[in-house]
Order: sequence, then structure tokens, then C-alpha cells
Amino acid sequence: MANSFDREEYSAARVKALESLLIEKGIITAQTVDKVIEFFEKDMGPFNGAKIVARAWVDPQFKARLLADTPAAIADMHFPRGMAGAEGENMRAVANTSQVHNLIVCTMCSCYPWPVLGLPPYWFKDPTFRARAIREPRKVLKEFGLDIPESVEVKVWDTSAQIRWFVLPERPAGTEGWTETQLAAIVTPESMQGAAKVVVPAETKTQGESE
Amino acid sequence: MKLQHYIGGLENLEPSSFEKRVFVQPWEKRIFGIHVAMMALSNHLDAVKSVPTQFDSFWTWGHLRKGAEGMNPFDYFKYRYYEKWLGGISGFYLESGYISAGELNSRTGLYLKDINASLPEVQNSAIDAQVVEYLRTGDSPACHAAVQPKFKAGDVVTVRNPPPVEHCKLPGYLRTKKGIIDEVYEGAYNYYFPTGDGIGDPMPIYNVVFNSHDIWGNLTEPNTKIYVQVFEAYLEDRDQ
Repeated sequence: MANSFDREEYSAARVKALESLLIEKGIITAQTVDKVIEFFEKDMGPFNGAKIVARAWVDPQFKARLLADTPAAIADMHFPRGMAGAEGENMRAVANTSQVHNLIVCTMCSCYPWPVLGLPPYWFKDPTFRARAIREPRKVLKEFGLDIPESVEVKVWDTSAQIRWFVLPERPAGTEGWTETQLAAIVTPESMQGAAKVVVPAETKTQGESE
Repeated sequence: MKLQHYIGGLENLEPSSFEKRVFVQPWEKRIFGIHVAMMALSNHLDAVKSVPTQFDSFWTWGHLRKGAEGMNPFDYFKYRYYEKWLGGISGFYLESGYISAGELNSRTGLYLKDINASLPEVQNSAIDAQVVEYLRTGDSPACHAAVQPKFKAGDVVTVRNPPPVEHCKLPGYLRTKKGIIDEVYEGAYNYYFPTGDGIGDPMPIYNVVFNSHDIWGNLTEPNTKIYVQVFEAYLEDRDQ
């Protein structure tokens, strides 16, 4: 293997070997891993968070409840069972405003609110992000394309105990009169961790105007 | 000290990647799913007692993190996120005697020759049902223990500096720093197992706010606050 060693090929073979042995020994089944992956594709993912954000944008009472008692507000929406399940046991939302920008980081691992955001993207898990976001969040955000003026307070949240945070981003201008479905479609996972703002894509703008 | 506990604040790093994918290689999904299944089949869960799995170990996030924090710190940065999981989890199965190194190596060789060779066809719907049920119900660290919080909102607290342990939940950059209690969370929270530096048993947790100047000095950025949820055992009164 020495010369032709391919790191990815080796890991792929190693993990498949592990999975096949675990199946043979009766620890898991041939379907277990696929069921887990399917759960995050169909039931729990950023599509849930996007619906929560859209609801908060159109319904001020819901927004107030979401910020005061996040689990209760989420329980009022009709999601599949499990919004308080794995990694959603203690979720809290925090709102961005014109005066405050929130950024979520987990400096020691990668804690993430699975039911509303699904699984953490690579940037969130990257030790470089985890090292820098807590000390120079504005610089990191600038690299991500987000310029936060000095007059806006930056709050960085380090998820190091048992609470899983997510961000309620600001509603972008030009979305007046949109339905919740239209609004949810433009909410990205990055915006719900404070790494980006929600923007109206150019083609959506044109559609919106023609309606 | 353990470098893994002190990642927050490290200097001289390159620009952050903004890779938005969850998995950058297809194999990463498999080790992720295996870890979730282990948490779902962990023998500390009541629901697992009636599940016909041969897995009979205590496995939680705490165990995975302990493995990552126990790595050679320079290796820690050499390996990608799920590479560390693969190393830690396969190491666990070898050390616990579920599988032998010979088995794992020869099976790896088989799949290296043909990565598309099929997996064994074993079905057991009760195991899969428990895994999905775990995802839907979770394993909440909140408990109903009658504990009286030592601090209240507005109190100035100092973060303790306990000796390093195998696994801890105290970010290194906070040690000895002063912050203000922003919120006292309702109830009490345990940790999966005692870490040896104070956490494990049910205790209050607090949201503590720190002025970034107090932590980073002249390396800080302006108008920035740091909020961290901290277990009570890691905090002490300002007068102590």
C-alpha cells in the first residue's frame, strides 16, 4: 500500500469493513446506516429551521414565543415527531437585528441543533473556524462575505454545555407580501448559524415582482 | 494542558473554509450512521433492554469526544473530522473485543480490492426501529433533581481552572476569566459520565457573558461579546 496509498480509498474500505463486521456480529443491520441517513434527508434538516424562520417573520406573536420558549413554539408547528429528539433536547433561538449579529460556534466539538438544522456542514466542524470564530468573528464573517459594521454588536455563542443555539436571521427587504413557503425557500442553513444573511436571489426578485 | 481543549482563540491560522457540504466523501456517511446507531443502542438507555442487538456498551457523545481529546494533538489536526471518528470508533471496537484487528484488516483488504462488494444481508427491524426511535426521542441531559443554583443573573463569576482531565466541557480560553451570569437555565443538567473535573451529576448550567476584551486583550475585535453555557462546577464566586 505504501506507494499507491490513497487516503480516501483506504477510509472507504475501512469503514465498509467495520460496517460489514458489525452487521455480521448482530450489532446493527444491513439497513441501519441507511435509515439514519434517510432520517436526516427526509425528517430532520434545515428545511425545518427555514419554516420556523418564515413563520417568525410573518407572525410577531410566534416570534416572541420562539425567542422566549423555543421548544414550546416549535411544538406548535406541525413537524414530524422528534423535534425535541437527538440534539434537539434543549434548543434555543436568538434573533439578529439591525443592532446585533449573532454567530454560533462550538469550539470544542460540533454541537448543532439537528432537528432544525440537520447535520453540521464542514465549515462549522473545521478546527480553523472553531479557533478563529471565537476571537475574530468579524474577520471570519468577512471571509464568508459578510461585512458587519463596528456599530453592530457581535455576539458569539460557544455551545459548550447542553444548549443548542440557532439564529433567527433578519428578514430581507423586498419580501413584503411573500407567503411563508416563498420565504422559507430563501432561508439557508448558514443564515441560521449567523454565518450569512438571508438574501433575495436575483431570479426570485423578478418572479416576485411579476406576481 | 490538552491542545484540543484550547482550540478557541488559536492564532496564525489560514482563512476559514466555507465548505457547506456535510459529507465531503461518501464513506463519511457510513461512520456517521454507525456512531448514531451506537448512541441509539447504548446500554444506558432503558429502551435498549428489549432490543436484540449484540451491542452491550455505554456509548455517547462523551465517549466519542473523549477519544478525540485523547489523540496526539498534532495528529488531531492532520485528520479530517470523520477520519477522527473512524479511528476512534474502530479503535473502540478493537479494544472492547467485539472484533479483532485481524478481522478488520483482512476485511479492509477485501473492500480495498473491490469497494463495491456487497454488505452482509442481515435484517432485524427491531434494531432499526430503536435507532430511529432514539433519533426521535433523544437522550436529554435535563433532569428533575432538586438543586438550588448558586448564582443568579447579574452575578460576577470567575471560571475555575481545574487540572486537565481526559475529557472536559470547559473551553480552555475561559479558564480564570471573569464573566457575568446572563441567564440561569431552568432545572439541572447531568453529563453522560463524571469527567473528573466536577461535571457529571445533575447541576445548574448558566449562560455566562464575557467581554471579548477581558479574554483576548489587544487581540480582540471591537464591540464583541462571548456567550458560553457553563456548568456550575466550573464557576466560582468572585470573592473566593
